[in-house]
Amino acid sequence: MNQIIDISLLSLAGGYLLLIFPVAIMLYLRVGMLKETAVAVLRMTVQLLFVGLYLQVVFKLNNPFLNLAWVAAMILVADLSILKGCRLKLKRFLLPMFIALVVGTLLPMVFFAGIILRLPGWFEAQYVIPLAGMILGNCLRADIIGLNNFYQSIHTNEKAYHQSLAYGAALTEALNPFFRDALRSALAPTIASMATIGLVSLPGMMTGVILAGADPFTAIKYQIAIMIAIFSGTAITVFLAIRLTVANSFNAFGILHSDILRDQ
Amino acid sequence: MTSSDFQTAVQLNRLHLSFTGQHVLNDLSLSIFHGDKVTLTGPSGSGKSTVLRCILGLVMPDSGTITILGETVTRHNIWRKRRHIAYVAQEPDLGTGSVKEVIETPFSYRANAGLRDNLSRLPEIMERFNLPQPLLDKQITRLSGGEKQRTALVIAILLDRPIVLLDEASSALDTKNKQAVADYFRQAENTTVLSVAHDTEWLGFATRIVDMKEIQKTEGKTG
Repeated sequence: MNQIIDISLLSLAGGYLLLIFPVAIMLYLRVGMLKETAVAVLRMTVQLLFVGLYLQVVFKLNNPFLNLAWVAAMILVADLSILKGCRLKLKRFLLPMFIALVVGTLLPMVFFAGIILRLPGWFEAQYVIPLAGMILGNCLRADIIGLNNFYQSIHTNEKAYHQSLAYGAALTEALNPFFRDALRSALAPTIASMATIGLVSLPGMMTGVILAGADPFTAIKYQIAIMIAIFSGTAITVFLAIRLTVANSFNAFGILHSDILRDQ
Repeated sequence: MTSSDFQTAVQLNRLHLSFTGQHVLNDLSLSIFHGDKVTLTGPSGSGKSTVLRCILGLVMPDSGTITILGETVTRHNIWRKRRHIAYVAQEPDLGTGSVKEVIETPFSYRANAGLRDNLSRLPEIMERFNLPQPLLDKQITRLSGGEKQRTALVIAILLDRPIVLLDEASSALDTKNKQAVADYFRQAENTTVLSVAHDTEWLGFATRIVDMKEIQKTEGKTG
């Protein structure tokens, strides 16, 4: 198979010229958003440059502990961005969320790396870091949807929730309908993308593997495995995220702490 | 404590509750005896609904104690205490699903496992409150205010609790249905009812009418 063609920095700089079209459309329709676009493009460039440089080092050393530290750092960043992304005051959730992300990411990943790929070396950077990144990214999205849905919905439907407590429900019994809904909404996007994959778009990982010069059949095998890993990771992480945060979020009478939700 | 406590279904002792610096309950005390039908009156915002929610442990008073059937409510026994109480909220929100599902849900809770047989009385109670059987298949959210209120009352009755708390539970009902509800509870001699209401038909069913002003300190004086 061919080696992938590198993009020279000069040509990449040329690639930014493609931005002329969205910018022109935005100006023409006066949609604003120019500043946001500029900031987003800049952030993307800087962030990816750093990651690229750092990953070069990580890949070169390929030290299992360094790789693990990198994954842990990614998880911590994900944890913090969930705390920011949810309209919830989640300071007290930092640790339970971290656990939910670690288990949700590492369990499917270890399964993927150890059983499906049968990696020779433990924690091979070339495989582990992109895989962990993909699973984690999806865990992050799912946790934000799931947690937001769960706590906002209890808050919005406080009356119905209180009514079930008044009917004698145990805490888990009263929370179950909300838990079910939250899990449903967090898993729905992954289920939908599994159902349409390949028809609508070529998924990122498959594209990557093909671009890297692999045979498309190898690419789809990777894609199937990663989709399953993502789906199981999201289910695990959302389940744990809600289960583990519930302990800290309700008082002994089963009432949601008022400081869980940020002022709105 | 004295022997009279054995006849007290609910005892509220010096409840204080402030919310954003405002007194909601100010040194409120009230004893309700077994079988009493007590109606709380007072202007809106005088804390009537809050009293009911405190008894259920849905709102925590800042100080004071609540005794239910001879036992002071604590964080440990509240879950057990709630099994002695049925509650119909003002404009009840009973969640989602069909009316049948909504009625059956409380009976799926472990705490109410022994009460499942009570559901056999459902047709009789529904008829009593003029709720036609086909209503069971309707979505609860599509019911009118009055139908929802009567559904909540039906659940409260089927749960067969010794203490019933009714928060404006007849506000959306017409005279005929109001009367049906009042008649039902008047006949339920062993049931203690604490209600919050405005209308005279309802007040007529009470054995005791209590003004919120009589049972707590008036505005200005703080405990």
